[in-house]
Amino acid sequence: MKEKGKRFADCVRRSSWKVRLSAVVMGGGQFLYGRYFKGLLYFLTEIMILTYFILRGGADIAGFFTLGTVKGDAWLGTKGDNSVIMMLMGIFAWIVIGVWIILYIANLKDVWRSQRLEEAGRPQPKFREELSQLLDRKFYVTVLALPVIGVCVFNILPIVFMILIAFTNYGGTVVPPELVDWVGFSNFSKLVTLSQFAPTFFRILGWNLLWAAASTALNYFAGLGLALLLNKDCVKGKAFWRAFPILAYAIPGFITLVAFKFMFSYGGPINQIITSSGGTAIGFLGLDAKWTARLIGLLVNCWISVPSIMLLATGYLSNRDMSLYEAARIDGASPFQQFRKLTLPFMLFSTMPVLLGQFIGNFNNFGIFYFLRGGLYVDGYFLASDTDLLINWLYNLSIDNNYYCIGAAISLVIFLITSVLSLSVYVKSPSYREEDTYQ
Amino acid sequence: MRKRIALLMAAVCSLAMLTGCGGEGGNDTQEPQQGTTGSPVFNGELERNVTIQVLENDTAIAQGYFDELIAAFNEAYADYGITAVDANMDQYLDLANDGPYGYGPDVLYQANDVIMKYVEGKHVYPLPVEQLECYEQIPDAAWQAYTAEIDGKSYVCGVPVNVQAGMLYYRKDLLPENWETRWDDNGNNIPDMLETWNDMYEFSLERHAENPSQYGYMKSLDDMYFSSGFLFSYGGYIFGDNNTDPSDIGLAAGDAEKGAWVLSQLAGAMNEECIDDTVTTSQYSKLADGSYFATITTPDVYTTFLDEMVLAYEKEGLTEEEAEEKAKENLVMTTLPKLPESGDLTETNPKLIDTKSMGGINGYAISAYTKYPNACLAFVDFATSYERMVERNQFLGVAPAREDAAKEAGGISELLYQNLESGNIVLMPSISQVGQIWTPGRTFFIDLAMDAFRPENEKKYTDLESLDAALEKVSKEIYDAIFTLQ
Repeated sequence: MKEKGKRFADCVRRSSWKVRLSAVVMGGGQFLYGRYFKGLLYFLTEIMILTYFILRGGADIAGFFTLGTVKGDAWLGTKGDNSVIMMLMGIFAWIVIGVWIILYIANLKDVWRSQRLEEAGRPQPKFREELSQLLDRKFYVTVLALPVIGVCVFNILPIVFMILIAFTNYGGTVVPPELVDWVGFSNFSKLVTLSQFAPTFFRILGWNLLWAAASTALNYFAGLGLALLLNKDCVKGKAFWRAFPILAYAIPGFITLVAFKFMFSYGGPINQIITSSGGTAIGFLGLDAKWTARLIGLLVNCWISVPSIMLLATGYLSNRDMSLYEAARIDGASPFQQFRKLTLPFMLFSTMPVLLGQFIGNFNNFGIFYFLRGGLYVDGYFLASDTDLLINWLYNLSIDNNYYCIGAAISLVIFLITSVLSLSVYVKSPSYREEDTYQ
Repeated sequence: MRKRIALLMAAVCSLAMLTGCGGEGGNDTQEPQQGTTGSPVFNGELERNVTIQVLENDTAIAQGYFDELIAAFNEAYADYGITAVDANMDQYLDLANDGPYGYGPDVLYQANDVIMKYVEGKHVYPLPVEQLECYEQIPDAAWQAYTAEIDGKSYVCGVPVNVQAGMLYYRKDLLPENWETRWDDNGNNIPDMLETWNDMYEFSLERHAENPSQYGYMKSLDDMYFSSGFLFSYGGYIFGDNNTDPSDIGLAAGDAEKGAWVLSQLAGAMNEECIDDTVTTSQYSKLADGSYFATITTPDVYTTFLDEMVLAYEKEGLTEEEAEEKAKENLVMTTLPKLPESGDLTETNPKLIDTKSMGGINGYAISAYTKYPNACLAFVDFATSYERMVERNQFLGVAPAREDAAKEAGGISELLYQNLESGNIVLMPSISQVGQIWTPGRTFFIDLAMDAFRPENEKKYTDLESLDAALEKVSKEIYDAIFTLQ
C-alpha cells in the first residue's frame, strides 16, 4: 500500500501538463497526444455522466439521503416523493459514480502511458490497434463488459437495496405515499431486545441450525447409502431401481409437498387406514405435533433431496481407486472400516462444496414447512410456529404482516450466519486445504 | 379630505381584494370540502371523447355480463364520446404502486377490503355518492363498508354492488322420512334442524349414530371467515368503532366465549376432519354422496355443489336431465339456523338469537389517478342502476346490494340483503390491519376443534372461563402482531 502511494506521488510529480489536463477534463491529454478518438470517447463519457448528474443524478444522491420530503396526496393532486424509488435511484446514482471513478482512473492510467511512450520516443497506439486488442489481448474486457453492467443493475442494485431496507422503517403503516426514513440499527436491536421478539428469534435460530445440520447429514448419508447400495454387484436391475428416486426427483417439489400434506392430513390416506382399523385419527402435522411435524419435515425433505445426492454420489463413486479397496480387503478391513477410511474421506473431499450448498439450501428451505404446516402461530412464538425456519418467519413478518424492514434485517442475519458457517467449514475442509492434491 | 379618505378606503379595499386573491381565492387544491363526501373533481362536467378503462370481475367477463354492460354504457354515452373498455389487467392489481405512474384502471371492481386498502394512501377518490341513483336503495351497512375516516372527516370511497356471506347448504332428500312429525315441533313445515343449531346438533349426533360413516352438519372450523360468525352472534367483534379501530380487538367481547362453546359442541358431532381443511376440500363430493347432510359456504359455489350432485345421481342410474332436475330440487341453500342464547346446544326450548356471519361487499371505486373522473362516475352510476344490478344477478347469480334489485331477484339474494340490513352479516373490516387477524384466528379455531377430540384429562377448554381466556389471548396476539413493530 505504501509502495503504491509512493508510486502515485512519483507519477503526480513527473506528470506533464497534458496528463494534468486529463485529470481535469477526461480525454483532454489523449487528444493532445494525438489520440483523438480515444480522447473524444473519454470526453463524451464525462459529458454524459455530468449531464446525467445535472439532470437527475445529483437529485437522486440527495434523495438517497433524505428519502423524500414531500408526501404524495392523490386527492390534492400532490405527486409527492416515493421513498422506495428514491432509494433505488440513489443506489443507481452511486453505481454510476463508481463507474465514473473507474473510468477516471482508466483515463489517467491511459494518458500516463501516453506520456511514458512519448518520453521513450515510441509512437502512440492507433485507435484501430486498440480496438483490435479488444478482440485479441483484451478480449475479456469485450465479453465481460455487458455482463458486468447486467450484474450491477440486476444483482448488485437489488441486493444493496434489500440490505439498505434493513436500516429504514419501511413497512407496516410506513409504505408509499408515506415517507420512509433511515433508522440506523434499530431494526437489529428490535430483533434481540423486544420482549416478544427476541425469544422467538433465538428459538427459531436454534431449531433452524438443528434442522440445517440434521437434514443435510440425513440427505447426504441417505443419498450416499442408496448410491452405494445400487452400486453393489449383487443388486439386480440397477437401472430399474435407480429410476424410482429419479421419478421422485422429477416431480416438482411443491407438488410433492402438497401431496405429503394431504397424506398426513386428518382426511388423508394414512388416517383413513388408522380409523378404518379402529384407531383414532392422528394430527401428524397438527397444532400439538411439534416434533412429529419436524420429523415428517426431515423425512419429506429427504424424499425430495436424496435422489440428487444419490445421482451425484453415483458419479463420484465410479471414480474411486478400487485397488485401495482390494488392498484394504487383503489387510482384513471390514466393509464399515472401508467405508469410514476410504469411501467417506474420498466423498467428503469431492463433495464438500456441494455439501455446503446443501446446508445453505436447507437452512433457507422455505417450502418444506410452508407447504406442510403453514398458517399457524404457536404459543411461545411471535408470528411463527414451532416448525418455522428463519426464512418462514421472515415471510410471515414481511409478507403477512408487512414488516419489510424487519424482514430485511432477518435476511441479513441469515446471510451472515450461513456465510460465516459455510466459509469456516470450507476453509477447514480437505477440499480447500488439500486442493492441490488433484491439481 | 374626503377625497383622501375615499382614496384610502379604495386602496384598503383593493388591498383586501388582492390579499383575498392571493390567499384563499388562489388556493386551487382539490381537497374534499366539509359537508360532502366526494372530491371536488366530480364537478358534473363530463369529459368528452374519452376512453375509460374498467377493471371488472373475471367471472363477469367470462359470463359475458361485462360485454353487455359496456356495450349499453357506450351506447348511452355515445353523444359525449365516452367509451368504456375492459382494462384487461390482472384482478390482483397494485394500484398503490402502478397508479402514480399512469398505469392501472380508471374504474375498478373489487371486494370492500381491497378497495379500502387503497383509501389509506388516497389511491381512490372519495365519491359524491349522494348524487348517485343507487344511493337511497343501498343500506347504511353497505355504505359503511366503504366509509373511511381520514384526518377527522368521513369519506365514502366505493359503491356497493353485491353481497357475499356464508349460507347453509343442505340436501332435502337426506331429511329423515318422518321429519314432519319428528323434526317440526313448531309445525311451520320447516325442518327444525334448519331453524336452530340445537336441532342441527341433535340431528347430526343421531345421523352419525345410525351410520358411523355419515354426518349431519360438517364444516372445517379452521376457516375464520365462517367460524368467527359464531363469536359475533354473542357480542364478539374484530375491531372496535365499527371495525375501524385496530387497537380494540374484540374477539372476546360480550359473551363471545359462548360462540366458541357452540363451535366446540358442533365439532364433537363431526370427526377430526373438521380440524384442518379436509372438510372444505371434500365438501362438494361428500354432500353429493350423502356423507354430509349440511355445510356452510358462500353462495358463489352453488354450481360446484350442483355439478357434484348431478354426477352422483347419474352414477345412481339417472339420465343427465333427470339428475339435473333432481339435484336442483334437493340441493337447498338457506340462511343460517338460530343459536341458543345460552350457547348450550343440548338445551331444550332455548331462547333463540340470530346467527351472524362474516361477509363482504364487492363494489366499484374510481382511481385517484384517472384523468376523467366525471366520465368514471357516470359509468359507476350507470353500472349500479336498477336495470344493471338485476341483469348482473341474472347473469352471475350474485346477491345485489340494492334493495329493489334484491327484491326483484328474490330467493337467496333477498335473504342476503335482509341479513345485511338487519346486521346479521358483519362485513369484513376495511382497514389494512385485517390481514393480520387470519392466522392467529385460524390457530385458535384449530385448537378449539382439536380440543373436542382430546382425551378428557387433556382438554384445554372445559368451561366458559377457559374459552374466554383463550379468546382474550388471541385478541392480544392480533394486537401484538399489529402494534409490536410499529
